Amino acid sequence: MKNRDSAPRIVWFTLAVIVGVVGLGFVPQFSLFGMTIERVDILSELRDGAADELVEYEADIERLEQELAAMSVVEEVVVEQDTLPELPPVRYEWVAGEVEPLEVRPLSSEALRGALSDAVVHIEDFDTLATTRLEQFYDKLASGESVRIAFMGDSFVEGDILTSDLRAELQGLFGGRGVGFVACDIPFATVRKTVKRTSSAWSAYSVMKPKSVPQDMADKFFVSGYLAKGGVGATTRWQTTDAFPTLDSCTRARVLLYSRDTSVVELMLNDSIPHSVEVAADERLREIYVEAENIASLRVKVAKGNILCYGVSLESEGGVAVDNFSVRSNNGHAIFGTGAAINRQAHDMLGYDLVVLQYGLNIMQKGQRGYSNYRTQLCNMIAYAERCFPGAAILVMGVSDRWVRSDESGSYVPIGSVDALTSYQRAAADSTKVAFWNTSQAMAALGGMPAFVANGWAANDYTHINFKGGRKVAEAMVAAIVEPVYDILVQREEESARLDAMRRAKALEAERRLDAQMKMVMSVADTLFAVEESGDEVMEDSAEELSEVVSDNGEE
Amino acid sequence: MGEFLKFDNALWQRVVSLLEYDAASPLTLTTGFFLFAFLVFGVGYLMVRGRAHLRTLYVVLFSLYFYYKLSGLYLLLLLFVALSDYLIGRRVYCIKQRGGSGGGWVALSVVINVAILVYFKATNFFVDLVNGLYAEGTLDWESVVVPAGVSFFVFQSIAYVVDIKRGVIEPLRRFSSYLFLLSFFPKMFLGPLVKAKEFIPQIEAAKATVTREDFGRAVALIAGGMIKYAVIAKAIGALFVAPAFAGKLGDGGFVALMAIYGFTLQIYCDFSGYSDIAQGVALMLGFRLPDNFDAPYHSATITEFWRRWHISLSTWLKDYLYISLGGNRCGSVRTYLNLILTMLLGGLWHGVGMTFIAWGLLHGVALALHKVWLKVVPGAKSVGAQMGVVCRVVATLVTFHIVAFGWLLFTADDMTVVGDMLSRIAYNFSFEDVALVVEGSAVAFVIMGVGYLLHAMPRRWDEALRRGVVKVGVVGQWLIMVAAIWLVMECGMLLAAETGAGGGLPMYAAF
Repeated sequence: MKNRDSAPRIVWFTLAVIVGVVGLGFVPQFSLFGMTIERVDILSELRDGAADELVEYEADIERLEQELAAMSVVEEVVVEQDTLPELPPVRYEWVAGEVEPLEVRPLSSEALRGALSDAVVHIEDFDTLATTRLEQFYDKLASGESVRIAFMGDSFVEGDILTSDLRAELQGLFGGRGVGFVACDIPFATVRKTVKRTSSAWSAYSVMKPKSVPQDMADKFFVSGYLAKGGVGATTRWQTTDAFPTLDSCTRARVLLYSRDTSVVELMLNDSIPHSVEVAADERLREIYVEAENIASLRVKVAKGNILCYGVSLESEGGVAVDNFSVRSNNGHAIFGTGAAINRQAHDMLGYDLVVLQYGLNIMQKGQRGYSNYRTQLCNMIAYAERCFPGAAILVMGVSDRWVRSDESGSYVPIGSVDALTSYQRAAADSTKVAFWNTSQAMAALGGMPAFVANGWAANDYTHINFKGGRKVAEAMVAAIVEPVYDILVQREEESARLDAMRRAKALEAERRLDAQMKMVMSVADTLFAVEESGDEVMEDSAEELSEVVSDNGEE
Repeated sequence: MGEFLKFDNALWQRVVSLLEYDAASPLTLTTGFFLFAFLVFGVGYLMVRGRAHLRTLYVVLFSLYFYYKLSGLYLLLLLFVALSDYLIGRRVYCIKQRGGSGGGWVALSVVINVAILVYFKATNFFVDLVNGLYAEGTLDWESVVVPAGVSFFVFQSIAYVVDIKRGVIEPLRRFSSYLFLLSFFPKMFLGPLVKAKEFIPQIEAAKATVTREDFGRAVALIAGGMIKYAVIAKAIGALFVAPAFAGKLGDGGFVALMAIYGFTLQIYCDFSGYSDIAQGVALMLGFRLPDNFDAPYHSATITEFWRRWHISLSTWLKDYLYISLGGNRCGSVRTYLNLILTMLLGGLWHGVGMTFIAWGLLHGVALALHKVWLKVVPGAKSVGAQMGVVCRVVATLVTFHIVAFGWLLFTADDMTVVGDMLSRIAYNFSFEDVALVVEGSAVAFVIMGVGYLLHAMPRRWDEALRRGVVKVGVVGQWLIMVAAIWLVMECGMLLAAETGAGGGLPMYAAF
């Protein structure tokens, strides 16, 4: 019995296994211990991937419409606020120390020259406004006004890769301090060289796992993607680091929070100065605004009630702030899961001038064929971002260069779909009249992915750049941003030089004429004296001449 | 339900295109395509398995198609190697029958095979080296794409000719039998290398039989192998090791150390998992492939490690390289040198570069030192089983760390990465990181913990588990297999969603 031939099993067992696995395809997606168990589909290679994409896309659109509908309701509430002055404040200020007023330092084109590059890949601006939103952004930079950038991306910029150097370069050129927005708590640990964060006793949620989020918080996400709910005792401490020269201290800390009930938040500045804030119950996003000469750390602790805390913005008066909003494995669609009203209120508080959308790497990796649906989806993301951040310029970053193993050999070849996806992303930017920057072209100018790997700028998966690579891409991006600002400055400097020259020429002319008049007066005087000796006739002529000169002079 | 079964009109076009070679999705034993192909193959196999010659032809044809799906037109290279060594083998045998040595022909075979290996393995390295030394473009050479499994079939082929020369085997009469030896699809890609003396009788057996026990063990091997290869190894790699090496988890020493431990488990699960699958698939067809791994991290000495890790390769290196170099017959100094040289060449076989040289040297020197140790230290033991408990635990930990840090050399892109990781561990180690890192990659740490725990189990538990799978009967086996496949697919999707990492090939595919 034991040694009976079982060879026929290889056929019917394999058949049964196939039937079993195909059968698993009928098990719908379900949730287990907070994890989403996806439907498996062994026949997927036979299926048209585009159809699934379409379903997903339609679901997103539906959500978008609901969100927008919800937003208009909130807008009405905001309008009511004007007639109801007893509403609690949106901003709780704590001035812990005098901050010296910012001295506006005039910016010269000379100071920007170092950031220019001959091989610059220009930002393509499809905006059709007379002065495009991107031009307004450049203009603000050139005028030394403060600007704020929301950099939304996936794991490509996680840990402040790229954005830390973008921030450092821009702050070096245009001023400003601080790391910008930092989350309060994230459901998994991440490490950022640019800021230290320790959190405890919060329940942290991610916009990527909507099923795990309590119902009453579902519409409360900000584009930061992470939300922390904390009762009494929940604590977070943020500490600056000296990873970059402009980060070791700052002068403003703004804690963004939401408190449906009256709560008390205890603050501790630089581990030494305590302060307590009672946040009245309200349905709007609020901020606790801390100002001090030298903010090196800030701790918040919930002492009463409970709050939803988004995070803190560490910044300064003036200059550039760059907020890194990276959400792992986000294709950009997570924006539909963020609350339009919350985003809008945060925008009103913080004032974004530029919103960067860096996505697509994951789309490409999934090997999807049809990018046209993705383009439509991207257009909707852009539309959503425009609703949330009105007035801000929107910049779509093209997908970065990526190479894959051609087969078992270990040799890498370009993935091929980079150019295809890039052109779809550009098309989306074009049709929605926003700006586009071709990341892969900028990387190609630096030698492409093989050079990135060879120089140790990217991981050997030929996909993810590291901090060194991030610096290179950031430099290329800064070059693209700085060039138009440089042009504006050069133009302004030329203009003012021209005006100066004109003024000088006018002054010279005036001087020359004054000289001439003086000479004439002198000569008339001479003549007069001469007349005293010789007769009256000449004197009358000269007097006429003199009065003419004087009246001329008066008009001058 | 109707929706689910709805395919569009282009279905047949897609089926046809799936049957063609596609460099972007090479065929391996864990793809869905293989499952379907195996069903089709199995129907024919049942009809021919009782006739040795027909069975050989049938399996060879399928194996060649399998190789084509894996590596495209490099199929011709496989055929060339097979033909040349088949003819050389016969030639050597004839010369020996007439009293000659046949050494010249053996040398020719070795030269051809080594030339193929060197061309595919080293060309890229030398082109890069020259271009690095002079200027980019000095050598204008398209990068060479290495054929799948080339090192395995080349080594198999060298062994065949040398075995004939040594009189261990007689040459095969039929070319198809030789192709079978070389290209048998479960083992063709990543081994294990088989000993011709043990495998040829199986090819020539009158009937390929599969007992119930064989079948149950095959299911256990395949299901277990898939979980090791496609769940544990892939998850640790994507969730922790790759981001840690890429510097995404900060530059702390703890992360670096854990990345090394993680990779140590990853490479074992990846390679041994795939070997288990190969063994299981072969067993289903009635062929026994030798064990390739024997709980390698249980080893208490480095000598023992090489008897438990990639056994078929270390046996090959011993039989055809170490012994050919003189082995231990030429005095102790030559023995040590031969050991070091063997491991150095073994290192170079994995790839031409400083890191592999360093890796080979590390193991060669460690093996030689262990030989010295056995000689000079009274009571020194060569394997853990002979040691006392305390001694064994300490020795196992020491050996594990030599091997683990060896893997750092093995996986690093270049020596600067090695230096960087080591200096992080030495100078930037902080216990404050521990909680943060573990919390941040909790899933990866759980999987790593489970993986190491499973590996630490005594071998007889493993055996008991396999016997258990045999005992649960065919319905239970079906449930186990479906569950394993489901887990693999689920894990693949989760990893793709979480990290964007695709399925990819076994790590050893690069060698």
